[in-house]
Amino acid sequence: MAAATPDGGDRSIVAFCCRECAYAAADASANARTPLPPTVRLVLVPCTGRVSPLHLLKALAEGADGVMVAGCLLGQCHYREGNFNAVDRVAFVQRLLKSVGVEPERCRMFTMSAGEPPKFVAAVREMDRVIGGLPPLPRSSYGDRTGQREATAAAASRTARPLEPTRGAA
Amino acid sequence: MPLTHRGREILNRAPGGHLRSTAGVGCEILRHEELCVGCGTCAKNCPTGASERGGFFDVQQLLDAPEGSRRGELGAALRVLMRHEPDGPVEVPERVTVYRTVVYDAEKCMGCGTCARNCPADAIEARPPRADAAPSPAPAEGVSA
Repeated sequence: MAAATPDGGDRSIVAFCCRECAYAAADASANARTPLPPTVRLVLVPCTGRVSPLHLLKALAEGADGVMVAGCLLGQCHYREGNFNAVDRVAFVQRLLKSVGVEPERCRMFTMSAGEPPKFVAAVREMDRVIGGLPPLPRSSYGDRTGQREATAAAASRTARPLEPTRGAA
Repeated sequence: MPLTHRGREILNRAPGGHLRSTAGVGCEILRHEELCVGCGTCAKNCPTGASERGGFFDVQQLLDAPEGSRRGELGAALRVLMRHEPDGPVEVPERVTVYRTVVYDAEKCMGCGTCARNCPADAIEARPPRADAAPSPAPAEGVSA
């Protein structure tokens, strides 16, 4: 998932973009052939109000180094108040991250209108620059359940194995 | 302790207060926070306002939540990322509705068990008042000696 960047870093950023504004801005910037940092992955959502804390944290847990939510200008949401919900959820995720010792800058909210492709490009570059300056995320180094899961998988395979010889013999 | 006339008047004015001495009230309420999904049904149905949705969220609740539940998935993601144990409760922004810890005030609770009956996650247990517990502890030792 991580992409090699010109400055030699391996990182990836997931951008949840609202269909009405941010994704349209991204589309326009691509039409204008403005280069985006190769680290960013765009995810289209109908409205930023669709993004839940689970989306943000799971993206971080499964390989992203930063997540950004890009939506309409405050007060100009096409679904009236979806982006206000997103602002509060992003703030909540930032507090969650902070309470377990992860930099809250890894999750950020940006707003722009559909007619502002430069603003979108600037937001992505800003995010890329900030994430590039952070130490890597220590995934699964602390208190994870993967050890447990491997133990149960090993136990399951141990119980499954005796079946095979009998099937082969029969 | 018997109530004064004024005390009884105040109790009767409180919602559900007149039930306080009747049978079927006085259950012991046990909350299992790790099963709570934060829907706030208990707070909505509580006749005395003993359960309320707070403005804070205890991060440990995510880590304790059972695997497969929504909170459990969030906790699993957080467990992968965390550098140390959570610092404690975080303040919840206004529009985040589900991730809130319910504040339970045992002083206001009259033990009617409405919360336990309405809880969709079975996170609240109401134990009926024990009839045999109220009398004096059995003097079995004194008799045998």
